[in-house]
Amino acid sequence: MSVEVTAREQVIREALRAAFRPEAVVARVDIADEEVRQQAVPAQKEIRICAGTACHASGRVAVREAIKEELAARGLTDTVPIVETGCHGFCEQGPIVVIQPQGIFYPHVKPAQVGKIIEASVVSDGAAEKLLYKDPQTGAPVAHERDIAFYNLQKRLVLAQNGKIDPYSIDDYLARKGYGSLAKVLIDNDPEAVVDLVEESGLRGRGGAGFPTGTKWRLTRNAPGDFKYVICNADEGDPGAFMDRSVLEGNPHAVVEGMIIAAFAIGASEGYVYVRAEYPFAVQRLTRALEQARERGILGDNILGSGFSFDIRISQGAGAFVCGEETALMASIEGRRGMPRTRPPYPAIEGLWGKPTNINNVETYANVPWIIAHGADAYAAMGTGTAKGTKIFSLTGKVRNGGLVEVPMGATLRHVIFDIGGGMLPGREFKAVQLGGPSGGCLPAEALDTPIDYETLTASGAIVGSGGMVVVDDTTCMVDLARYFLQFSQDESCGKCVPCRLGTKRMLEVLERICAGEGREGDIELLEELANYVAEGTLCALGGTAPNPVLTTLRYFRAEYEAHIFDKRCPAGSCKALITYYIDAEACTGCTLCAKKCPTQAISGERKQPHVIDTSACIKCDTCRQVCNFDAVKVFSGRDATPPTQAKEA
Amino acid sequence: MLGMLKAMRQTLKHLPAKKITEQYPEERFELPERSRGLFRVVVDASSGEARCRACTLCETNCPVQVIRVNAESKYKLPVPNQAHIVRERLESQPPIDLRKLEPIVAGYFESGTRMIQILQQTQEQYGYLPRLALQEIAQRTGVSLSEIYGVASFYNQFRLKPVGKYLITVCHGTACHVAGAPLVSAAFSEVLGIDLNETTKDRLFTLQAVNCVGACALAPVVRVGDDETHGRMTPDSARQLVHDLRRREGLE
Repeated sequence: MSVEVTAREQVIREALRAAFRPEAVVARVDIADEEVRQQAVPAQKEIRICAGTACHASGRVAVREAIKEELAARGLTDTVPIVETGCHGFCEQGPIVVIQPQGIFYPHVKPAQVGKIIEASVVSDGAAEKLLYKDPQTGAPVAHERDIAFYNLQKRLVLAQNGKIDPYSIDDYLARKGYGSLAKVLIDNDPEAVVDLVEESGLRGRGGAGFPTGTKWRLTRNAPGDFKYVICNADEGDPGAFMDRSVLEGNPHAVVEGMIIAAFAIGASEGYVYVRAEYPFAVQRLTRALEQARERGILGDNILGSGFSFDIRISQGAGAFVCGEETALMASIEGRRGMPRTRPPYPAIEGLWGKPTNINNVETYANVPWIIAHGADAYAAMGTGTAKGTKIFSLTGKVRNGGLVEVPMGATLRHVIFDIGGGMLPGREFKAVQLGGPSGGCLPAEALDTPIDYETLTASGAIVGSGGMVVVDDTTCMVDLARYFLQFSQDESCGKCVPCRLGTKRMLEVLERICAGEGREGDIELLEELANYVAEGTLCALGGTAPNPVLTTLRYFRAEYEAHIFDKRCPAGSCKALITYYIDAEACTGCTLCAKKCPTQAISGERKQPHVIDTSACIKCDTCRQVCNFDAVKVFSGRDATPPTQAKEA
Repeated sequence: MLGMLKAMRQTLKHLPAKKITEQYPEERFELPERSRGLFRVVVDASSGEARCRACTLCETNCPVQVIRVNAESKYKLPVPNQAHIVRERLESQPPIDLRKLEPIVAGYFESGTRMIQILQQTQEQYGYLPRLALQEIAQRTGVSLSEIYGVASFYNQFRLKPVGKYLITVCHGTACHVAGAPLVSAAFSEVLGIDLNETTKDRLFTLQAVNCVGACALAPVVRVGDDETHGRMTPDSARQLVHDLRRREGLE
């Protein structure tokens, strides 16, 4: 390698420098690069508000306005910048406000508390102790973001910049060596070497199937044709998964950079991001990111003066789960019904409008700049033998710390759910974890020590999938959960293949009758048989994996199915047809709250006397159980038997 | 009345007859080994014409892409006795301002068909996809109406009926389901007196379910319109929300 700076390197470095406007950097306090730091106007303090979807829903706009007012009242508007960052990942705690540079973390911020926070952490250097995050185990307040177990047990690589930079500012990204990997790739000017590097890193598709990314790139690169496409699949349809949305919302430029690098390696000249219309923030921020990149000469004709041209367009999905499948996605971009087709020919050979096309997931592209910057070995050092790097999971359900969790491949489920996720909600018992959405499966407590990698999880019946992880407790009925997923697959089936269109319908009917207490002997065997037909006889992964939730629940929770069919009993107390509500006379204090809230006036009783539910009028809406402060409303399961207390009254 | 009696006679005649449909999967029909069935186009005996209307649905649906429809679409020439049905159906449509469509169709025609974007913007404009607008789009882009309808009915986002003032969206994602979303939508149905995907008679509320809005930490989530999000809903707070919205309208 020559020490001499080539003319090409000079041009690209100069172009990248020219693209950066240090004065426009919004998030300034933690820029590592000393040179950039001095160029950007230094700030003493900085207030970061999470502007992810969950924090938005829990009221971040009101908090922002309160902070603005408070700063104005104190005359701090010009000296303390407010940065609206992407998702911090700890969605359970929204709205989140972090004060930099100390990194003091305030969860569940309400507009009324803003004054105290600014007083304690912005004006002086302390923390408003009462408003801090409390450790779920010890109850002790934790001031710094870095000390919270949820964060410090993670290995954040793709999410590293999320929650730090303003997603609307390309300068924030550039100030943190953003687009440096792109410049490096363009300077080396060796597409083949980029493909080699990605192949060596062992990066595999993060969308679900886990196909090696390098191999995919090579296939597309070697495919004949002078016009090629690069597509980013951001059609995150899995219910319960939101990592792609958070990456696009928090750090859209990382995805753009990854896509440009991929395009350069493959030799593509046009790109599409196919994003769900249900994600308005992601669309907005990505649109802005693309505009900015184009303005600064990072996207479009002659990128950074290198002679390489590539542009990206956004294509909005219209709400169809099956469009996450690559061939359906391409049909949808072309403006047709999103229906999968047979493969081969694979998209790498014949894709969008018949041209060679490379399709990767958001998270996959977001990994690419890191791999280029740190090298394939550093990436391959993380993870297991077959799965390298990190993976983001969206942890939701009945767990204390819901949110986005990024861990190295090979971490165990127990580590993610109990160490990082903080375990179950108080008083609840772990029953199962659902992985991979409608294509995945439910794993029981015995499987908690399974390491997370593609092969091990597939062997256990679940899949890594896009990374949805829903934790369920003893109040969730597994038959009902299987029914829910099948209902989903049945709704979302495009209808092309008969086994999927009708097979899932028939399976759903069987599950519905089991949930309704009409299950018959032989239903379980029938389900298994149909599941095999559906899995074998369909074209795409949606149909092929649709029976997975049923098969895994049958494998691990067969007893629950049997209880429904033979005993007409729902052990979790959730299937409406099989349960009766009753009031425990011992525990009822006669506060009349449930009687007031009951929409059908089915509850009667004198004040201070135990109340009684009239089961013939009860619509089982669960309101009384939820409003009762004394846990006196109970659920009894077993359709043909009478509940204990109710029997006494009668 | 007479027609109804005639129809009843037919029904009664068939009532005691043996069912001819196989109740799969409970009953199985014995197929000869290696049978793959046979497809052909049905010819109408009276007119001698093929019944196929070249709607291209079979072409789109064939899993192995072995069907190619070469015929011109016959939708432009409806069979005589259906002509007035079609006209009636059209006349029953509420009138819409077709001029609003102009920029939408013009903007996208050049860059390929991009049908989904056209439909998205049309829906933004009218709140739903009126049949008249779809016909106009078909005429301007040269894409057949059946194909456009195929696209519009395929995606969950598109609505073919007008919606109420408040669009109540209950998230039915996994996390929301586990946290009790079915109970929440049942409460909405009960208090509004409508099922999912229906609109109240006063055109105030439309109830719908979506698969995931991605705010799983706040499960169960309900959205009103595009901007208002309510987290951690219960059946009780669902009823309360409807009361609040009605109060906002000055109805209560």
